[in-house]
Amino acid sequence: MKKFILLLIGIVLIAAMLAPSVLAESKVKITVWDGFRWPNEEGDKYHWIKSRIAKFEELHPAVDIELVEVAWEKLGEKMNIAIAGHDWPDIGPVDISDGAVNLKYVEQGVIEPLDSFFTEEELNDFFPAALNAYSYNGHLYGIPTSMTVHALMLNLDIFKERGVEPPVDGKWTWNEFVTKMKKLTFDRDGDGNIDVYGFSTYVLKGYYEAWPFLMMDGGKPLSTDNTKYTFDSPEAISGLTKFASLKFNHKVSPMEMGSADVGGCFQAFANPEKRIIAVEPWASWAIATLRNNKKYQMNFVVAEYPTGKTGESVTIGGSGGFVVFKQKDKEKLKIVAELAKFLSDAEQQYTFAVNYGTFPALKSAQAMDPFKDNPQMRQAAEMLKYAVSLPRHLNWPQIDERIQAQLQLVLNGEKTATEALKTAGEQVQRFLK
Amino acid sequence: MPPPRLRGGGIILVKREVILIKGKFSKLLIKNFAEYKWNYLFILPKFLLFFTFIVIPVIWAFFLAFQEFGIFETKWVGLTNFKEAFTGDLFWIALWNTLRYTLTVVPAQIFIALVLASLIHPFSRKIQTFFRGAYYFPTVTSVVVISMVWRWMYTSKGLINYFISILNLGPINWLGSSNWALPAIILMSVLTPPGVGIILYLAAMDSIPESLYEAARIDGAGSITSWIRITLPLIKPTTLYLVVIGTIGSFQVFTQVLLLTDGGPGYATTTLVHLIYNAAFRDFDFGLASAHSIILFGIVLIFAFIQFKFLSTDVEY
Repeated sequence: MKKFILLLIGIVLIAAMLAPSVLAESKVKITVWDGFRWPNEEGDKYHWIKSRIAKFEELHPAVDIELVEVAWEKLGEKMNIAIAGHDWPDIGPVDISDGAVNLKYVEQGVIEPLDSFFTEEELNDFFPAALNAYSYNGHLYGIPTSMTVHALMLNLDIFKERGVEPPVDGKWTWNEFVTKMKKLTFDRDGDGNIDVYGFSTYVLKGYYEAWPFLMMDGGKPLSTDNTKYTFDSPEAISGLTKFASLKFNHKVSPMEMGSADVGGCFQAFANPEKRIIAVEPWASWAIATLRNNKKYQMNFVVAEYPTGKTGESVTIGGSGGFVVFKQKDKEKLKIVAELAKFLSDAEQQYTFAVNYGTFPALKSAQAMDPFKDNPQMRQAAEMLKYAVSLPRHLNWPQIDERIQAQLQLVLNGEKTATEALKTAGEQVQRFLK
Repeated sequence: MPPPRLRGGGIILVKREVILIKGKFSKLLIKNFAEYKWNYLFILPKFLLFFTFIVIPVIWAFFLAFQEFGIFETKWVGLTNFKEAFTGDLFWIALWNTLRYTLTVVPAQIFIALVLASLIHPFSRKIQTFFRGAYYFPTVTSVVVISMVWRWMYTSKGLINYFISILNLGPINWLGSSNWALPAIILMSVLTPPGVGIILYLAAMDSIPESLYEAARIDGAGSITSWIRITLPLIKPTTLYLVVIGTIGSFQVFTQVLLLTDGGPGYATTTLVHLIYNAAFRDFDFGLASAHSIILFGIVLIFAFIQFKFLSTDVEY
């Protein structure tokens, strides 16, 4: 009898120990990666995703979601390592056509197609450009949540200081742009040295703020079918020559233009203690920062890139959204896809648009008029119709690296536009085969 | 006659011992292990960590170099990755940049460490300790922090351009010019005090018997002659160690490059490890990255061999 009681106690104790883990096992565990977004009052830049996760867990008690906070600049590297180790998240905030997630992943089946989780009506609610950014070989490989464009940000205080009028409706020709940039470049303290420059930007792998200048006379990096390099065309050479002339001929850009890093460039433009550049091109997220972030709040307007020979402004557009990574369990896939849709619905896209400087990918979110009190975003939204996407090529990171390296050499005065773009063409050729 | 033993428990097999028959040798090993089992036990955790996190990845990298890496399956491609590495447009540029960096930074750092250690050595213990700490401090500071400070110093209105403007020169686009970017990275590395070198040189100088200097003084040698004739030859093993370790470290230069220039402008500062990093973590081409790594390993091995050949010494005192 004594033995039996002891055995019973033993079984009860073991069961008590195992119970939590067994219960936990019965929950569906989902891992979500996300980058920082806009801060709340406590300064938490991950508050949006945390609140959505909490809400989803509340609606689905059998789901346990783990959030992995990732800095955007480290996302690509971390994602590559995770994928190489077969330790990918269930959901990640990436664009399948940019550097963070290589198209090779799609081809190798690491990303789940999501076509079957959307009705025709739901798909029709997306703007075609956004949907296209997440489509590959006829399938939808993610849920677009936002679109962005690159636009010129104009520091109105410097314009006022120099008595320069910003362009009417944000539109200007190349010559008008250069004339204004010259007036905005000046020696503020009278020591004989230039203190404030009209324009600056950076040229780095994976960043395209400078590229609309190369494209303003009609230049394009690759042919439409992505089989030929076309940035050595007279149109592209003309665009790059004009762009480099800002620094070397018109002298409206600082020595660092082309070699500065992203942070340094932004600080020179937006840090109240500096503000030594009147105009810089940024992706539209900067609008939210310059409007809402107390540290960088600025009196500014948004303008289009100047028009060149084509007579039309051009800019580079991008998309953001969530992708669902390969799932072995098809039942879990359904829940993960539901969560991805939950994070991407019209209400969330509206929230992004209001707080995060992006444009909704859903027509229904756009219909909520997120920019009614935001003239800068309304101006930038006008540019969406001129926005072109980057070529979608499996070897785009290598192609991009070769082109950007040559652009740097033009902006430090070591090569002419013709030499640089032709050299880039020779180097790029092997990746186009 | 049993083979002579080293203090650490190892066995030196001199020529006549090679004839030991297998059984006898095994017995000897067992006896040796039994005698020094605690020594082996103490080094076991470190060895396991080393084997798991260094040896296995290195072996795995070696195999990867012959494969086309895929997420779900890899394909044996023989020497294709090596061919691609050698014919790639960036490999030779990266190798040349790495060589320029190594051949400048290693001698310069060792020279600076030697000079500073020689200047510190005559001081009292307390003052020596102060200088040891002061010069070692940057070694424990993150390269990231040092690089960010230097990045600011290299701007058009930074400290370096301010100094050269006093001489009515510049400003120089240090990080944006192909001619200056690599020298700028080299300068940063050279001017970061070589704390480890100073500490090791001071330890080596401490162990030189004072009687040698006294004898030299009696023979009429001045301090410079003593330094050249006594100090330098007797610290040669330390120099060899620093040269080998410094060369290995310099061939792996990466953080400064990534933070200051990211390999640019153009490819003026692209180094071998930067190339490996891009191939692996940007292009997801682990096969090519592994091939680059194996080649880098081979180059470092050759350099180390040459350094041992010319700098090793059997000086004892």
